Amino acid sequence: MKLVILILCAAAVFPAQSLQQAESLWKQHRYEDAKNAFEALLAAYPRNAEYRVRYGELFLERFNPPEAAKLFHEALVLNPKQAGALLGLARVAAETYEAQATEFAHKALEADPHLVPAQELLARLALEDSDPELAAAEAHKALQMSPDAVQAKALLATIDWLNDKPNTEWDPHNGPGYETAARIFVLNRRYEEAIQLFRKAVAAQPDLWSAHSELGINLMRLGRNTEARAELELCYANDYRDAATVNTLRLMDSYKNFVTYKTGRTILRLHKKEAELLHPYFEAEMLRALHTYDQKYGYKLQHPVQVEVYPDHEDFAVRTMGMPGLGALGVTFGYVVAMDSPSGRPPGTFHWASTMWHELSHVYVLNMTNFRVPRWFTEGLAVHEETAVSPEWGDRLDPHVIVAIRDKKLLPVAELDRGFVRPTYPAQVVVSYFEAGRICDFINREWGWPKLLAMIHDFGAGETTPEVIQKELGLKTDEFDKRFMADLLADTKKTVYGFDKWREGLKKVAEEYKAEDYEDMIRDGNSIRDTYPDFVEPGNVYQILADGYLAKADKKSAIGELERYAKVGGRSPDTLKQLATLLEEAGNMKEAAEVLDRLNYIQPVDEDLHRRLGGLWFGLGNIAGAIREYQAVLAQSPTDPAAAHFNLAKAYRLANRTEDARNEVLASLEAAPGYRPAQKMLLELSK
Amino acid sequence: MRLLLSFLLTAASLPATTYYVTISGLGGEPDYAQHFAMWANDIGKALKSSADSKVETLINATRDEVRTSLNAIARDAKPQDALVVMLIGHGSFDGYDYKINLPGPDLSATELATLLDRIPATRQLVVNMTSASGGSVEFLRRTNRVVIAATKTGTEKNATVFARYWVEALTDPAADSDKNEVISALEAFRYADKKTAEYYESQKRLATEHPVLEDTGKSDGVRAPSPENGEGMLAGQFPLLRIGATATAAKNPAKLQLIAKKDQLEQQIDKLKYDKAAIPPEEYKKQLAALLLELARTQEEIDK
Repeated sequence: MKLVILILCAAAVFPAQSLQQAESLWKQHRYEDAKNAFEALLAAYPRNAEYRVRYGELFLERFNPPEAAKLFHEALVLNPKQAGALLGLARVAAETYEAQATEFAHKALEADPHLVPAQELLARLALEDSDPELAAAEAHKALQMSPDAVQAKALLATIDWLNDKPNTEWDPHNGPGYETAARIFVLNRRYEEAIQLFRKAVAAQPDLWSAHSELGINLMRLGRNTEARAELELCYANDYRDAATVNTLRLMDSYKNFVTYKTGRTILRLHKKEAELLHPYFEAEMLRALHTYDQKYGYKLQHPVQVEVYPDHEDFAVRTMGMPGLGALGVTFGYVVAMDSPSGRPPGTFHWASTMWHELSHVYVLNMTNFRVPRWFTEGLAVHEETAVSPEWGDRLDPHVIVAIRDKKLLPVAELDRGFVRPTYPAQVVVSYFEAGRICDFINREWGWPKLLAMIHDFGAGETTPEVIQKELGLKTDEFDKRFMADLLADTKKTVYGFDKWREGLKKVAEEYKAEDYEDMIRDGNSIRDTYPDFVEPGNVYQILADGYLAKADKKSAIGELERYAKVGGRSPDTLKQLATLLEEAGNMKEAAEVLDRLNYIQPVDEDLHRRLGGLWFGLGNIAGAIREYQAVLAQSPTDPAAAHFNLAKAYRLANRTEDARNEVLASLEAAPGYRPAQKMLLELSK
Repeated sequence: MRLLLSFLLTAASLPATTYYVTISGLGGEPDYAQHFAMWANDIGKALKSSADSKVETLINATRDEVRTSLNAIARDAKPQDALVVMLIGHGSFDGYDYKINLPGPDLSATELATLLDRIPATRQLVVNMTSASGGSVEFLRRTNRVVIAATKTGTEKNATVFARYWVEALTDPAADSDKNEVISALEAFRYADKKTAEYYESQKRLATEHPVLEDTGKSDGVRAPSPENGEGMLAGQFPLLRIGATATAAKNPAKLQLIAKKDQLEQQIDKLKYDKAAIPPEEYKKQLAALLLELARTQEEIDK
């Protein structure tokens, strides 16, 4: 009996010691040992939900949200009211800006009304959603629950700081508090202030490695690489090796592979493998955009703008977020723009010039407003600018947007920021970009560009979206929403309400195409094409119709169809090249050259494109254009170097650049000493 | 790759024939079947205009039909002739032998090598463009035989695109990188290899084929033939397709002296290029320009 009592006592004491041991190891940063201790606990007490929650929190701290979420879910199976598990799931969702975060935080509070961190999280989520009033109310609730709630204080202080009130009564005087404030500033694109807050966070708590890491990442975003590296290496040396820290360090190691080109107004960083090729196109486009925006925005930038172009999309994602997997194509940090290279995306899926103009618009709007501008407005203006440069640029009306319009999922303008930060359905970010862009198009069309310009200044002065819309457009936001939606529907109703029928029709056309039933295919293709003219993705009706016309030897109609495709923004290099070929065959050399030139803004990493376009420009007497294209051929280690050098020599010769022509013809003959046309030119140049 | 004059003269003086056999195997799926047949036919079309050639295109041929074709060449061909065998389709490698997928029994690399060994044509080129074709190199390699495979090893099993660009090499003048109006096996290999790599890069796909060339009869094939690794010499001298009238001048005795001078100049240029790294750039350019100008003048005289 004594023995049984002893065992029972031991069993009662042992788990407490083991949990204590796990917590102690965790506190000592002995994470693997702590993990083993938790594993032992879970094996001994599989039905203990609390142990799973603590173990999940360890995973959450050590950069493994999926494993943490798994443990929180397991805990909830054991106890559906486990407040810690619900809070854990809310934190996991908050990390990736998922809408479920709020729901889980509320559930956690229902399970335990005294759970201060859950209340603080609700305040943070509201502030992340650009709702400072709700955030303040939630933070005050947390302070009522606990007057020492540091995060609640930090969030109230952040609201004051965001409103340019530096002397706040809520200053948390605490590392994690400053860190939270800094993160909110990052979300508001106010990177300089965020950096100052991260500095305060690490000053208050020198071993707050997460803040060191974010300080380093944000310094890198603004191009202060030396200091950034020092912060990140400090994290690494102290075993803080989350993916963002490690990926960013790795990316910084790769900077040696980049070449920098400078003009008085631009700094262009290109990967050395494509620098020579892209440099002329990118720099010319940067200068053109800056010149246009100087006039349009009536604002002169104070510093040169830096554009960094990443051929590896994952590098770009790390550069911008610290983590791979980012869906965006370009990101702006003050005077620094990071963007994908055309070589980083499958051909035809990316219009780099459109992206560059989009990002450079941000540079103006962010600097004009001192970064005090709602996300919807700066994104909307940037999207507006894409098609303002050329109607063929910019993104098309895509099926997600059509469905969102049909299902009335567009957000009111006053809440549109939420669609960017915390989407409630997978395509909401894309839909929000579209909506914001169309709102700016609408304002521009109905009230004129000066109103948009005035709105920029109003936002810069700290006014809110409802205030700005009332002031500049004379409307309350709900009235504005009604007018905007009416305008949008008038423009898109044919596509929105005909979408399902169009989809069926396209299926039928595709089947007729497969069966080579060209008569019916052309009839049916023509009947559906204008229901959804923006559909230019693979399998589009323009290409199908053009193929049908070609099968019937009707080249003229095929050209017409492909010209429609190009005009509505079709970007497939193969299709555009096919159009250029047909135009050449029809003797329309100028039009053919223009079609190929369009590809320079989509996929310039294409030797064949530059060779053909060079030839067309040469034939049309556009010698400067021919020289640029032939230089582009040579920048790509061409398949036929002798011909490439010879073509450039011919262009130089026509431009009266005899010495350059001689050098190129010698380079041609160096590759192929017996190349007759080059030999002939050498003799002529040597006379 | 420049063909040496001596070789041209030899080739021109003998009634040599080049036998081309293109074998397109089973597609399995309509899309593959269509492409394999199309590529094989396109090769046939490109080669038809080639002088002194016998071109045979075998689409979906059985093993017996392949045997019959190669045995016929074995009977007709002479040592001074050349043989080019091109394989398109799906291949497999089981760790012991390679096989091309044909209707009925497949053809193994071992048997193909035996059939080729019986053909008296001294110079041979085998271009195996199937999946897993790298597995065939060790069976097919032999002195005086160039072997090209679309894949580095027998374990690269995905369908290949190398054939598409091999066809292009036969029709795109850009493949003739030294502009001597002859596309050599090495030029065609380099062209197709580059285009294949560009295809995977532009499609953002991991490359599942890495073409190799073997022409020493000793190695497993290399990705980049060069004087350093000893590969490519024979392939550079193997005229896959003549696209001009290179041999015409060589037949005119009155021009032989000029042709000899041209040959000498070309050799001097080759040597200068070889020594480029050791010569100051300005000096190199000066010497090169002088030699190229002299070569151009000589060519002008030949062409008169």
